[in-house]
Amino acid sequence: MVWAWLIPVLSFAAVPLIILFGKRLPGKGSPLAILAILAGFAIFWVVFAGFLSASPDTDGCEIGVGTEALTCNFQITWFEAGIPGADTKNHDRIEVAWGMTVDPLTVAMLGLATFVALMVQIYSLGYMHGDPRIDWYYAFHALFIASMLTLVLADNFLLLYVAWELVGLCSYLLIGFWHERPEPREAAKKAFIVTRIGDVGLLVGILLLWSQVGSFSMSETFAAVESGVLSDGVITVSALLLFLGAMGKSAQFPFHVWLPDAMEGPTPVSALIHAATMVAAGVYLVARAFPLFSASDTAMLVVATIGLITALGAATIALVATDLKRILAYSTISHLGLMMLSLGAFGYTAAIFHLLAHGFAKALLFLGAGSVMHSTDELDVREMGGLRKVMPVTAILFSIGALSLGGIPILAGFWSKDEILVAVNKELPVIFIVLTLLTALLSALYMARAMFVVFYGRFAEHFEHVHDAPKTMSITMGLLAVFAIVFGLVALDLPGPFKGIGYFIFYHEGHGLELVAWLAGLSTVLAIVAFVYAYLAYARKSINLEGTRGTFGWALKVAENKYYLDEVYQWTVDRVVLSFSRFIAWVDRALVNDVGINGPGDVTRVLGDRLKYHVTGYVYTYALAMALGLVGLAIFWWLVSR
Amino acid sequence: MVPLVAFQVLSAALFAIGLYGVMARRSAVLIVMSIELMLNAVNINLIAAASHLDGMGKWANFDGQIIAIFIITVAAAEVGLGMAIILRMYRNRSTVNVDEINLMKW
Repeated sequence: MVWAWLIPVLSFAAVPLIILFGKRLPGKGSPLAILAILAGFAIFWVVFAGFLSASPDTDGCEIGVGTEALTCNFQITWFEAGIPGADTKNHDRIEVAWGMTVDPLTVAMLGLATFVALMVQIYSLGYMHGDPRIDWYYAFHALFIASMLTLVLADNFLLLYVAWELVGLCSYLLIGFWHERPEPREAAKKAFIVTRIGDVGLLVGILLLWSQVGSFSMSETFAAVESGVLSDGVITVSALLLFLGAMGKSAQFPFHVWLPDAMEGPTPVSALIHAATMVAAGVYLVARAFPLFSASDTAMLVVATIGLITALGAATIALVATDLKRILAYSTISHLGLMMLSLGAFGYTAAIFHLLAHGFAKALLFLGAGSVMHSTDELDVREMGGLRKVMPVTAILFSIGALSLGGIPILAGFWSKDEILVAVNKELPVIFIVLTLLTALLSALYMARAMFVVFYGRFAEHFEHVHDAPKTMSITMGLLAVFAIVFGLVALDLPGPFKGIGYFIFYHEGHGLELVAWLAGLSTVLAIVAFVYAYLAYARKSINLEGTRGTFGWALKVAENKYYLDEVYQWTVDRVVLSFSRFIAWVDRALVNDVGINGPGDVTRVLGDRLKYHVTGYVYTYALAMALGLVGLAIFWWLVSR
Repeated sequence: MVPLVAFQVLSAALFAIGLYGVMARRSAVLIVMSIELMLNAVNINLIAAASHLDGMGKWANFDGQIIAIFIITVAAAEVGLGMAIILRMYRNRSTVNVDEINLMKW
């Protein structure tokens, strides 16, 4: 288990090697990145096995503060500053550890991240085949996954923040990977800037906690929360500030606008970064800091409300979007919202369970969309139809992902979504469960729409000569599909030592699978109705949608324009941000530069201009000045000596 | 014995005449001569003061006289230097009129 640090380090090591020698290596260095993450995936199993056999007596392990789950910490001092030997509580000394923590949450994230990254990197061999900059692509990928793994392993907020910014950087680099076209450039900048707004909150929150606790260490912070050292106000404010960072990264309303645009990046990037791992970092952060969040009712309610707004709003947009990748992007936003909602409803297990199940299914869907795009060069679903004729493998695998995410029973998405419904029903007012069920219905509906419009129904003749995905792509999708099908079974109390995910990832106390009959039944019925309706409407065309379109015209228009949020942002930037910037620029130019910097210079020059005329060049002027000076001095002496 | 104040009046008069000469004359040679006048005014002042204050007896103080001799030496050197400069000036500009030599400005 001590070797967990090796998982990110291997991928970190691959980065400079690929950049320096990639051009001369076989496959332009791509095998290096894949080998690094493959080794990381292997070490993950060693760590997992080590963790399962560990007990609170094991070296470095203890029952974690806050979560009450087994937590193992390994750390070395990164740097210290201040008065040697002083107490860190008084801020006379600061000590930052380069450390990692291995607990159930970390193990789960490690497994998801290494597996999806491995699949996506192998998939990319096919998808990015022939790209001239494939060495950079794999270097960025290796850097991303190394940062992501550091993020989930970090045992203190400062290290987490460093990794947090690094994944943001990699996201920027990979969204803008095809920077020859203007759209990816703009999208990359948008993603970077929008998430940065949240990151400022995160940084301020971390510093606020440090100022109160005297340490960046998470366990010490949570111990301070539990022991009541922190006031309620500090807990609420710092939790909300951390949540601001999580909102940016996890694309929560109103910071979700960057994620749909991020689809300009290569599709495997969308699958890895913008579906399964990086965008889940916000959810991970809230889960990691759950002892802090759960201590503040206000923070929990904010998390739940933002989550619900995001989930419902994004689901409605996904229903009317016409770009296949953007449908999936809005679906991702919606599901991230559901995870946040679940966390806000104290559904800790449910949120992480859904994070994992959604990660597998959504990565599969993105890779499926990538396969379609790879073959057809088309992303507008209105141009597609009946593609299962020419791409049967992709069609089947995509359908599995869609059914899983839509919540069809037995598949992974059903179990995790149901856990969320149970948590919401138990903890939050009735309006929340109603809207969550509506979101679940919409979620099934848009997944069904994407699946039926693209792969079923009337065949779009102009795709006659399209070929199916190459092996590297179909095999990786197949492996992800296996997880999208069977992963839900970890919720069950299977024979053997594993008693279900509820006893592995839990907060305070483990619990088995909770099934509320009417909720499970209702969500199943909703999902099946949605799929059947979508089949009839989009594949068989036996339901005419024009009538609905007429009735809900205005609502459709609002949703199709993404609730005009991009326009609101544009207006804010143009009117508020730019006006303010212009004012600041004026202050800089007029006050700082003209008065502060040039002012003394101008005064000196003008004074010199005026005063130079007393220097006549005639000797007698100087003689007179000397004589007068002498007289002056004499008078001065006389006055002084009197 | 001539009172000290008479020497001081003479010295001051000579100094004033010299100062006037430095400022009013146009010829560089006359300016140098006026400077000599001022230096000699100082000499008179020094010697008079020295001999008047404690010039009597065995332990007379010769400070004033010594400084005066120094001044005479320096004045001689100064005249030599000054005349050399004026000579160069005349060679260059064919004049020793300081009104026409006002290069020492901005």
